[in-house]
Amino acid sequence: MLVPIFTLKLNHKINPRMVTVGKFDGVHPCLTAATQAGKVFIHNPHTRAQRNVAHRLSQSAQDSDITLLNINQAVSCLTAGTLGPNTTGDTLLVGSQTSLLAYDVHDNADIFYREVTDGANAIVLGKLGDIQYPLAIIGGNCALQGFDYEGNDQFWTVTGDNVRSLVLCDFTGDGKNELLVGSEDFDIRVFKEDELVTEMAENETVTSLCHMHGSRFGYALANGTVGVYDRTARYWRIKSKNHAMSIHAFDLNADGVVELITGWSNGKIDARSDRTGEVIFKDNFSSSIAGVVEGDYRMDGQIQLICTSVEGEVRGYLPASKEMKGNLMDSSVEQDLIRELSQRKQNLLLELRNYEENAKASPGVSEVDSQMGVIPANTQLQTALSVRAATESQRAHIELSISTPNETIIRAVLIFAEGIFEGESHVVHPSAQNLSGCIRVPIIPPKDIPVDLHIKAFVGGRTSAQFHVFEITRQLPRFSMYDLNVDPTATRPTGRVTFSINDRPQRVVMWLNQNFLLPEGMDSPDVTFTCLRAGGLLTISMQSSGEITFNTDDIDLAGDLVQSLASFLAIDDLQAEADFPAYFQELRVTLTEVDEFHSVHQKLTAAMADHSNHIRNMLVQAEDARLMGDIVNMKRRYIELYDLNRDLINEYKIRSNNHNALLVCLKSVNQAIQRAGRLRVGKPKNQVISACRDAIKNNNINALFKIMKAGTASS
Amino acid sequence: MDVVLNHVDYLQVGVTSQKTTRLLPAIGRKANQKVAVADSDGVITCFGMKKGEAVPVFRTLPGQRISRLELGGAPGTPQEKIFVSSGSEVRGFTKKGKQFLSFEANLTENINAMHVSGADLFVCASYIYNHYCDCKDQDYYLSGDKINDIVCLPGDKVGRAVPILACQDRVLRVLQGSELLYGVEVPGPPSVLELNNKDGGTDGDEILYGTTDGRLGLVKITESAPVVKWEMDNEKKKGGILCIDTFDILGDGVKDILVGRDDGTVEIYALDASNELSLRFEHVLSESVTSIQGGCVGKENYDEVLTTTYTGWVSGLTTEPQQMEAGPGEELKMSKETQSKVAALRSELEQLQVKVLQGREKYQQSSQSSTAVSTVPAFSVNDKFTLCQDDASYSLALEVQTAIDNLLLQSDVPIDLLDVDKNSAVVSFSECDSEQPNGNFLLATYRCQANTTRLELKVRSIEGQYGTLQAYITPRLQPKTCQVRQYQIKPLSLHQRTHSIAQDRPMNTLRLVGQFSFAEVHSWVVFCLPEVPEKTPAAESVTFYFQNTFLGTQLEATYSKGEGNFKSDNISTISILKDVLSKEATKRKINLNISYDVNENSVSHTLMMIHPKLEYQLLLSKKVQLIDALKELQVHEGNADFLIPEYRSILDESARLLDEYKKQPAHLERLYGMITDLFIDKFKFKGQNVKTKVSALLEILDNYDLNSLIDFFNEA
Repeated sequence: MLVPIFTLKLNHKINPRMVTVGKFDGVHPCLTAATQAGKVFIHNPHTRAQRNVAHRLSQSAQDSDITLLNINQAVSCLTAGTLGPNTTGDTLLVGSQTSLLAYDVHDNADIFYREVTDGANAIVLGKLGDIQYPLAIIGGNCALQGFDYEGNDQFWTVTGDNVRSLVLCDFTGDGKNELLVGSEDFDIRVFKEDELVTEMAENETVTSLCHMHGSRFGYALANGTVGVYDRTARYWRIKSKNHAMSIHAFDLNADGVVELITGWSNGKIDARSDRTGEVIFKDNFSSSIAGVVEGDYRMDGQIQLICTSVEGEVRGYLPASKEMKGNLMDSSVEQDLIRELSQRKQNLLLELRNYEENAKASPGVSEVDSQMGVIPANTQLQTALSVRAATESQRAHIELSISTPNETIIRAVLIFAEGIFEGESHVVHPSAQNLSGCIRVPIIPPKDIPVDLHIKAFVGGRTSAQFHVFEITRQLPRFSMYDLNVDPTATRPTGRVTFSINDRPQRVVMWLNQNFLLPEGMDSPDVTFTCLRAGGLLTISMQSSGEITFNTDDIDLAGDLVQSLASFLAIDDLQAEADFPAYFQELRVTLTEVDEFHSVHQKLTAAMADHSNHIRNMLVQAEDARLMGDIVNMKRRYIELYDLNRDLINEYKIRSNNHNALLVCLKSVNQAIQRAGRLRVGKPKNQVISACRDAIKNNNINALFKIMKAGTASS
Repeated sequence: MDVVLNHVDYLQVGVTSQKTTRLLPAIGRKANQKVAVADSDGVITCFGMKKGEAVPVFRTLPGQRISRLELGGAPGTPQEKIFVSSGSEVRGFTKKGKQFLSFEANLTENINAMHVSGADLFVCASYIYNHYCDCKDQDYYLSGDKINDIVCLPGDKVGRAVPILACQDRVLRVLQGSELLYGVEVPGPPSVLELNNKDGGTDGDEILYGTTDGRLGLVKITESAPVVKWEMDNEKKKGGILCIDTFDILGDGVKDILVGRDDGTVEIYALDASNELSLRFEHVLSESVTSIQGGCVGKENYDEVLTTTYTGWVSGLTTEPQQMEAGPGEELKMSKETQSKVAALRSELEQLQVKVLQGREKYQQSSQSSTAVSTVPAFSVNDKFTLCQDDASYSLALEVQTAIDNLLLQSDVPIDLLDVDKNSAVVSFSECDSEQPNGNFLLATYRCQANTTRLELKVRSIEGQYGTLQAYITPRLQPKTCQVRQYQIKPLSLHQRTHSIAQDRPMNTLRLVGQFSFAEVHSWVVFCLPEVPEKTPAAESVTFYFQNTFLGTQLEATYSKGEGNFKSDNISTISILKDVLSKEATKRKINLNISYDVNENSVSHTLMMIHPKLEYQLLLSKKVQLIDALKELQVHEGNADFLIPEYRSILDESARLLDEYKKQPAHLERLYGMITDLFIDKFKFKGQNVKTKVSALLEILDNYDLNSLIDFFNEA
């Protein structure tokens, strides 16, 4: 059994996922973590009693090993590492919702401080692609930004939604790092510098990513899933009812291959084999895990795994020694093996007994005992998927109908599927009076994603206490909420995207048949659907020249269609022309709003500076009056001060509202760029994104729309 | 905990019932003992361990489920005859496996408890106790509630055999012949009885009992009255006790108490010098422990605790030190015995695999035929649905002989499903349409992790709302089937039986008069209240006492043919009873004359009873709210010296406060709900509808003060 080699109680709370280890003087590793009240603490047990207190740093009164760093803002992420080319120690980087601070702890000085309007939800430090110096890359609201050691903005791109996790790893195996981005739209995206290499769709917000080795990386989702990918292929995943707070790669059993260490919200910590996900070690903390890091904390040349809990408990584990032979758990392998084999034997015996008893049952006799849930042996479940338009009583949905061919009834249906229900399952359980052999389940997928429906139906008699479980898997195609029935009076969509391909129309038809829920096969690529989710029409048409046009007002849908078709036809680069008048108009309004919010922001900032001068004056006057014994005047001054304070609070509220509105607008601008990019594939896509960025930087709105429409900056 | 015991598996039999494993007496000192274990397939397996291998002495043929296994023999000789009960039959076997007795007790119900002593045989069915001597009928007793276990004080010490029945209504009934000598009131429903020290102690009259709610106690049964030596509460909320044994495993010359519980906990308690009970060892198995025995099985000279679990695993917790084992990929280092064991198992598995494949094919083929039917035998489910006194919620424990794949919970009453820490299954709540036609208030699925055979859930009910909770259990077994279990949520679901109630409280009375039989009124009471025996009592009239586990209010139900009286200090209880009873009577077209007598003082009395709880909860939630802010201040200022003592004490106690707050989620909301019900019910009896004033009541509760609340109740 592996036991911790050291335990510490730090008496400071630790914010989840905001823990790092840095050698700020180049030698001594220090555990650094964000704590309450906008502070960061640095635990340095190595060099006691020789620290000076100044600037941001202050000594904690409770614990002499801890220094506190005042950020005065809620910290949202932090990391430490080598940033500058000629620095001796590590640089500490602290991100908040509005800024990024690079700080030299050893010299007690700011290296740079940058306002970041998109916020910093996640941060990673390291080399990206061919960029010469290490970058501090932050992920905020739909945007990624990289800063070098001078605080220069060296890297910028947009992504589909708010970024929640980042990691650098050599995904493509070309010897250079790619950036992996996990975001709130459930996608893991891989960026080779600012080019999007690939995306993997998951089914919840991606909260953590960590590099394992080579092209292998671990991930964690908000619904309690953790797993390992190798490139785009998922090796394994497990789901727990608890949430994974932090994941880290560490070779705990000393077999030369790192394991995935997961810290859970219930205080559990486990190490899983990167190949199979099998647990090789576990331990428990009394409160939720805040972060898992590694470092040579005892300064003896051995790297330890360091786990921290939100209550400030820290435990360090050394990799297992040779004697333990990879057996870190408190149980014996022999016992487990024998137990497992016996269990299997017991299971097989039970199954065998089932068949024997079944063979004994003769048709006539057993029907008496309806409790047992006897059903005809040839019972087979029929399932069908169909699109249903909205009616007065029900929203538009996809209907899954399940029926038995004989007099048996379906007691209940369980559908396990990812990403389309509130939880992971949906249950239909008719009351005892409404039992029948047919159940219709309405399904409304919230997004256009392909889904596997794992259906379990309980089939038996009306009074059965035991039922047969039928397990069926059906696939829901990606674009299932689209109905072929079209209202002829509906207005034609004004938005469109047009591009050319060098493929036969048959291939496009194939794509249509695979990705849409069609009652019968299609033979022409020209088709019109009603969008059941958003309303409106979708028209797909193809010229003999290979020019394809999607007509829809929904730019997201157009982007999804382009991406899906391009990956189906294996197209690497695709240029497209697009026009979405309604959406562009909306964006134009948003852009003017952004300008307004900016100017309001400036005005308010000026007013605030003004007020603070006032306060200073009034305070001096009031104190003067007090010292002079002029109580009447003092009272008046303080009342004025109180009023001013109230004004300031009100102004602050206005400012923060203004700021939030600004953030929403900026997010939608970032999303617009992302959407314009998604209408293209490969190089043209990246060109559109970088050209849009330039246009926004230069505040050239007309150019922006031109680029979005034409796909290129020139012409 | 100064004792180290290592877990060793011996063998697996079928699903086992409570108390079905015994160790045969050793021949010679410190020699290996043989184990006799009976399972629900009706098989008795007797085996001994030789070089780490289970060597069977004999195995009987399958038959009816065996409910108990006891040892017996002529007085003065080694107790090595094996007696088993199955159905209404008792059979006896010699230690070699030769059947020498088959005795049909001719009971209408199955035997579920048995005791053997010399030529005397004591058997119990659900409500009936029978004593046979040399297979001749001697005494008979009909118990008021279900009998869970029986034990007999040894005749050689107390002069005559004194049978003691453990009954579900929290009473140990001590019999004399066919008559009840007296009843011993115990704090929970007793589930198991065992003689202290295996012989009843020095005077031979001490018995140990364990209850379904996890309490343990020792009672001295004297001629005239019981003497309770000690009782141990179940503070850590462990499972109910299923089996007890006494054995000196610690090696200090005093017999220790071994306890097995239904949540898989195995415990060893020792009495220290000051006669205080202390926990010396604890081990948690993954499934309920049905039998526990102390002895020597695995290796000579090493004592151990032998346990049998629900799914039939016989394993030991031995004092024999375990050698370091080799890691994976280094099977060479495994001991020879284990290697051969593994090889044998593997080859056995392969053969089975082939057979199963054939079976599967046949089954598949049968699906082509239009006349064949598919029927799968029922798998056994061990379930328990009990009210926990401490947090006034129900706990549902489900256990299956093989791994559970998923569980579907469905309820047609509004209930809250609470998370249980132990449980690793992934729960998912499905949207449900509480409106007709389906009327579901809860639809939740539990997807279990591999090898989960036991699942525990917590359910919180609301008094007055009743219906059924259904659990559909699907194990990982081909062909896949699922079994449904139903649990009644009764109208007064939070009530629990007690032995007596305080008579000095102001009581409200509900009186029923009408043309109904005793059986009918009894069935209504069974419908309304938990823990009432289903069988109609033999007497002319009967009185039951109940206590509300959440509020501590009480209920007295006295009824006979044509008349029923219900008294409670809580007006809501009376109101619920009135609604349900009149509904039930209307269903059966019985004309009921309901009269009630409302005591105005009872309302303020109930409010006074709630007051300390409410005040405590309000204070607790206020303190918990402050903790984070205070901690921040502490960090900011570097210390907490500047705070007033009240705040400092909150900081010091923060861990405990948070713990307590977490333990009772929604406690305050429940209290608010009950006060609101009380308010509505009070005026319902006056014929007023005060639902419009509820918002005003909630306002008062938000700024809680007892006097203003009582005033509000009086004025409104």
